[in-house]
Amino acid sequence: MIATLAQAGFPEAMSGLTLYHYLFISAVMFVLGLIGFVTRRNLIVMFLCTEMMFQASGIALVAFSRFYLEYTGQVFVIFVLTVAAAEAAMALALVVLLFRRNESLDGSVWSLLKG
Amino acid sequence: MISPIILYAMIALGAVGVLLALPRAKASFALPGFLIGATAGGIVIAALGSKALADGGNLPNMYFYVFGFVALAAALRVVTHPKPVYSALYFILTILATCGLFLILSAEFMAFALVIIYAGAILITYLFVIMLATQAPTEEMVENQPAFDRVAREPVLATVSGFLMLAVLSTLLAQGVPTLKTPPAPESDALLAELPLRIERSLRERNTLGEEGGILPTESLAREVMQDGSAGQYIIDVANRTVTVQVDAEGGARRVVSWPEDLALTNTEGVGYELIKAHPGAIEIAGVILLMAMLGAVVLARKQMQIDEDAKRAQAQGLAGGEGAAS
Repeated sequence: MIATLAQAGFPEAMSGLTLYHYLFISAVMFVLGLIGFVTRRNLIVMFLCTEMMFQASGIALVAFSRFYLEYTGQVFVIFVLTVAAAEAAMALALVVLLFRRNESLDGSVWSLLKG
Repeated sequence: MISPIILYAMIALGAVGVLLALPRAKASFALPGFLIGATAGGIVIAALGSKALADGGNLPNMYFYVFGFVALAAALRVVTHPKPVYSALYFILTILATCGLFLILSAEFMAFALVIIYAGAILITYLFVIMLATQAPTEEMVENQPAFDRVAREPVLATVSGFLMLAVLSTLLAQGVPTLKTPPAPESDALLAELPLRIERSLRERNTLGEEGGILPTESLAREVMQDGSAGQYIIDVANRTVTVQVDAEGGARRVVSWPEDLALTNTEGVGYELIKAHPGAIEIAGVILLMAMLGAVVLARKQMQIDEDAKRAQAQGLAGGEGAAS
């Protein structure tokens, strides 16, 4: 179903790879993003770490797409990209707004929002 | 799955590495932390490779290991680098390495979309905002980063819980995962049969290029003739890979032409077809989400502009009033 690199002259491209390899890479990247989101205090870096978690989910989706020989996984990566772009636009506008108000990117400055 | 002892030991070692590499108040252990983390990751990946070798497969593709290692190392740097600009640049490296992984998975469209959208658009926006929203450096801050960038919040708790999750995830993921299948050709043909104009275009191209088996410009794919004389489905024989071609537009003579041997859907065509066929509503909603995000960003920025203008006006009036009083 999916046109392979093998047809384009790379017959060994998939040799020996398992789904697990990709899922492991994806899991490690997701956990690194999670740790970054929790530990970093810079608002912009926190959002960068969420983008990294999106990226990790994208790797898992494409790997599953290749595993089940379906395009649906890749189509969902397009939607993940959409959400990531929308989130980046909104979040960065908010970050600039918060920075103008408080002259700081420190997330813990906004702990007042806890109520 | 590789030996659980190696896996858990290396996950623990990786946790120590990340913990050391996270920014901290006094001494910096970024380099040793990075080395420990890289060693742990490298050992796990090497163990995965040797496992694949022991299972009788070929040695896995070298590029997978290179791209995977670069992606994870850059991801570690994104999380631990004290300067946000460098974090963003390392994230671009992560994306490029991920694109390499996608190419190995023969997801070419996603790989290039990722470079264009993520590395080209989103990350540039991030860099803009990082440079816009930075405090003007004072005398003592020229060398130092602000404190909130230098000191991580709750590093031990976050790292331990994060890597605990990684251990559970990697255990669960390993249960019963066979190797990736080779794509069967017939399914590609079945998908092609739903795209008759794609077949027709390919046949025309062959004629233009002067190859065997093309169709003339006057010829077109034939449709079934229904009982009331209207045109029905295109006549396509998937099993034999042939189509029926009408020799002239008026109808009449028909002949059977076989598809080119190398005709197959590319990744981009497959993704696009799946997107339109199976998720037409979702793509509309994605468009609305993007529009709303754009409107939201404009509204947020616009409101701030008005406040600034009001403040300026008030300041100008105050100045004018002050001058009036002085004279």
